[in-house]
Amino acid sequence: MTQMKKKGEIKPVFSDNEVYMDKIYEPKMRKLLRRCYQCARCSGICQLSKVQKFTPSRIIQEILEGFEEKIITSGILNDCLTCNSCLQNCPEDVNFADIVRMARYKMRQRDAQCLDDSIAHKAMYTTISELMSYSHMEPKRDLSWVPKECEISDTGEIMYFVGCQPYFKFEFDELDNVPSDTLKIISKIEDKPIVVRKDESCCGHDLYWGQGKFEAFIDLAKKNYELFERAGVSTIITSCAEGYRTLKVEYSKLFDDFSDKFEVKHVLEYIYEKWKQGEIEFKNPDDKLVDVQFTYHDPCRLNRFLPKESTLIEDIREMFGKLKSLGYSFNEMEHNKKNALCCGVSSWMNCNERSKALRYKRLLEAKAAGTTMVTSCPKCILHFSCLQNDFEDIASIEIKDVSEFFVNLIHKVEKKKEVK
Amino acid sequence: MSKSKKKASKEWEPNIVTFCCNWCSYAGADLAGVSRFQYPPNIRIIRVMCSGRVDPTFLLKALKDGADGVLLSGCHIGDCHYISGNEYTDERFKKLHKIIIKQLGIDEKRVRLEWVSASEGKRWSEVVTEFTNQIKKLGPFKKSN
Ligand code: SF4
Ligand code: SF4
Repeated sequence: MTQMKKKGEIKPVFSDNEVYMDKIYEPKMRKLLRRCYQCARCSGICQLSKVQKFTPSRIIQEILEGFEEKIITSGILNDCLTCNSCLQNCPEDVNFADIVRMARYKMRQRDAQCLDDSIAHKAMYTTISELMSYSHMEPKRDLSWVPKECEISDTGEIMYFVGCQPYFKFEFDELDNVPSDTLKIISKIEDKPIVVRKDESCCGHDLYWGQGKFEAFIDLAKKNYELFERAGVSTIITSCAEGYRTLKVEYSKLFDDFSDKFEVKHVLEYIYEKWKQGEIEFKNPDDKLVDVQFTYHDPCRLNRFLPKESTLIEDIREMFGKLKSLGYSFNEMEHNKKNALCCGVSSWMNCNERSKALRYKRLLEAKAAGTTMVTSCPKCILHFSCLQNDFEDIASIEIKDVSEFFVNLIHKVEKKKEVK
Repeated sequence: MSKSKKKASKEWEPNIVTFCCNWCSYAGADLAGVSRFQYPPNIRIIRVMCSGRVDPTFLLKALKDGADGVLLSGCHIGDCHYISGNEYTDERFKKLHKIIIKQLGIDEKRVRLEWVSASEGKRWSEVVTEFTNQIKKLGPFKKSN
């Protein structure tokens, strides 16, 4: 009944949405898989296969043999972490995570598998995303977190895309400093007021990757696209790895002119660029030397999901290396860069014993590498710090967002030339 | 008679989802029925064992799937059959309002928490009538585009 109703609602805009749908959805799965020659590297590398029976190559073979329906109704694809490790190692560039995403859309249509059962936190946050996708909804975000020294405006050139962090406050307090610290960093570097919008919608990442709700995702994308145009921004900075990937890659897939009009940057990338250009330097407050061993967890969205030409992973390591003179020594974890382990939950899907085992493994690696773990994905922080409540041996690791880590270290270089 | 019925059906009627706890509010609604207190027929009651069972997500999902208003009703504080279930509800509900409903831009009046005990049949009918009128004033949640 609800299914029918939903379809009815979508109808008025459907003709428009169909065009967008074509860009992100390929109903013939086999077309995308034909290149696979069953080397089974993906099954060997699959992060999930370490904790449960899961063999992507078998699943691909079964789909190719015509058992697509069976695979979809069995719900096995619910389990995939969409971590993209398999694509990283596939000689034929078979994008399995992408297939999973489309399969989840099909599962929704079939009504065969109730995806909602495997969404963490009883689908609280994905419901919020979906509510935001309705055209009549206009979020009224609370901006009381904005630090007093930061100037914000409604229109301008540089925008800080806050993302869902203000809504996470409902259950978590680990992220309370992330938006304010990020804004502090940006306003330290920029002279003009930064655009922070009250009516910003969710980027739709979770609906796109985890929930198979492409229609809602398209609606959200359209809403945000209009918002960016209204605000007249040219650069969008985000502190969230998932938001970054969605804006940068998925939105440009939907809208042909998106990447020409807007430049999307993760705050880490932004800091690196400014540092390279000599606009900022790293200094300890009060110039005191500290002694901190820290490590960096590469979130999948800012790692294996980056566009191929991106050098971000190496760039940030260059930057971390430079922090040694301040007393921050950077150590790599056992699995790092493109081989980094997954936090186990992506798009709020499947938080269970198996994903907890993955997280535990990752935190043990972090413990061996240092006392502080820095990461650039707010959700990784949530998932990891949640597990810390359960296990004493990993509770000592301090988990920080990059913005929290950098906020006190960044100092603007005074331009001497202008004085002359 | 039939004419007026037809006319009335054309008017927009709100859909209101109501969660009632088994021990107080559901019994209260029962009493309202037995005592023949009138109230508008727009509510759909879902019985739960305790108002603490109602996850905040349920309220959001109701709105998402087409409800125009959501009413959550439990025993008065101190009367809970499970001792402290409704205290949790109260706490969560306040947080839901402050952090989610407000920031989503949903009118706060659409989602309401009420305490109705088993003996308050009269009050039940009053609460429902008042809430329905309020939602009617606010109009449909999903404005048809
Ligand atoms: S690694 Fe690629 S080619 Fe090899 S089995 Fe997996 S999907 Fe097929
Ligand atoms: S995306 Fe990750 S979890 Fe899914 S099949 Fe590939 S390696 Fe395994």
